[in-house]
Amino acid sequence: MRGLIEFVVRYRNYITLSTLVVMSFSLMSIGRLSDLGGFRAVIVGSIGWIQSAFSWIPNPVALKSENTALRELNLQLAVEVARSRQSIVENERLRGMLKLPEYTDFGLIAADIVGKTTTEQRNYATINKGKVDGITEGMSCINDAGLVGIVVGASDHYAVLELLINRDTRVSAKVLRTRVDGVIQWEGENILVLKNIPRSLDVKQNDVIVTSSYSSKYPANIVIGTVTVVENEANSLFHRVVVQPSVNFSTLEQIFVVNARPNPERIQLERKIEETSKTKISQ
Amino acid sequence: MAHNVGIRRSEYVTNPVLRYIGYGVIALLLSVVHVVFLRFMQVSSVTPDLLLIFTVFIAIYEGQFTGMIAGFLCGLLFDAVSTDVIGTNALAKTLAGFVAGYFYHENHGVQFVGSFNFLLVIALCGFVHNLVYNFFFIRPMQVSFWIFFLQYGLAATLYTTVTSLFLMLYINRRRD
Repeated sequence: MRGLIEFVVRYRNYITLSTLVVMSFSLMSIGRLSDLGGFRAVIVGSIGWIQSAFSWIPNPVALKSENTALRELNLQLAVEVARSRQSIVENERLRGMLKLPEYTDFGLIAADIVGKTTTEQRNYATINKGKVDGITEGMSCINDAGLVGIVVGASDHYAVLELLINRDTRVSAKVLRTRVDGVIQWEGENILVLKNIPRSLDVKQNDVIVTSSYSSKYPANIVIGTVTVVENEANSLFHRVVVQPSVNFSTLEQIFVVNARPNPERIQLERKIEETSKTKISQ
Repeated sequence: MAHNVGIRRSEYVTNPVLRYIGYGVIALLLSVVHVVFLRFMQVSSVTPDLLLIFTVFIAIYEGQFTGMIAGFLCGLLFDAVSTDVIGTNALAKTLAGFVAGYFYHENHGVQFVGSFNFLLVIALCGFVHNLVYNFFFIRPMQVSFWIFFLQYGLAATLYTTVTSLFLMLYINRRRD
């Protein structure tokens, strides 16, 4: 007995440690939060009461983190709103484009714009349809607003469009109201100009400009834009007719490729006559 | 008046019953302070462990046996007020008290607490405490123990050590 007491006294720290560790494990196995008993409930209730009594003291750290969380939430909601608005706009545009085939006699191939490039004031767009879908060079592109451009290159699954707002673009056009003919050219930014209109001919603001049947590249009677300014050029016999394009090129996302190529016989004949004229002039 | 206070203080120091009651009251106050007010000192969800500092203080001042008992009771108290799983803090603080007890020097407790060695002991005990506590704390969660421990355990140890600097400086000035 005395030996046992001596042993306990000698190793009391280790015995105590073992006992406390065993007690801790025992408590852990039964002391889950869900087993909130009477004594603990009183303690938690008291602590809660003290916490609520001091809850009026502002916590700068918590306020900062709450502020950050609210800003993140605000950003997420702003993104959601932007997406929602975008969906509404896209929905309206697609609905408008769905009606387009009803108003045109051409076969149309729908395509999405997947890229836009600008090289020295030459604006091009890439679409996600190509030769496999029946698209070839020389086909015109339109949307529900009007003329977009022309296909200048096509691979199997993609095609590149030369947009109307391109330094190289020349479109034979006419004033819808008076049938006056001219040539549409791009003058930078969002400005088209109808050229070769003599001062004596009738062109007014808000006149609609459409493609002319004289064009060998574009189908006739496709809307190009609306006249915004008519002014007399200095030292010239012609009007300067500024046209606002009907297509919004900055938001262009979906287009239709007109499934019709220019008549090759006509192009061949026109080229032949052109070359003959040049030869005569040079002689 | 000063004489009376001196008598009271010496009485308090020499009378173990009064001393232990005092420890109990301080532990109770610290646990309430921890739960109610330490949110103001919170840095990335990490707070200093005042009861751990107190446990180490008792272990150095009173010895390993008392340190373990104090650690166990402080841990139980903290588990109760913090709605943690009962026993986790008790186990961690018991082990911390056990480790801190090895630095007990009879009648030199005040000198030790007032020195930088106290901070080293706090860091060591904090490391042991958080290692054990985090092991049981993250058991039900699907996270890596070492990542969690390195992220929170070491941060809590460091924060507790830095906080104990104030106690060390206070005791140091009083000792002088």
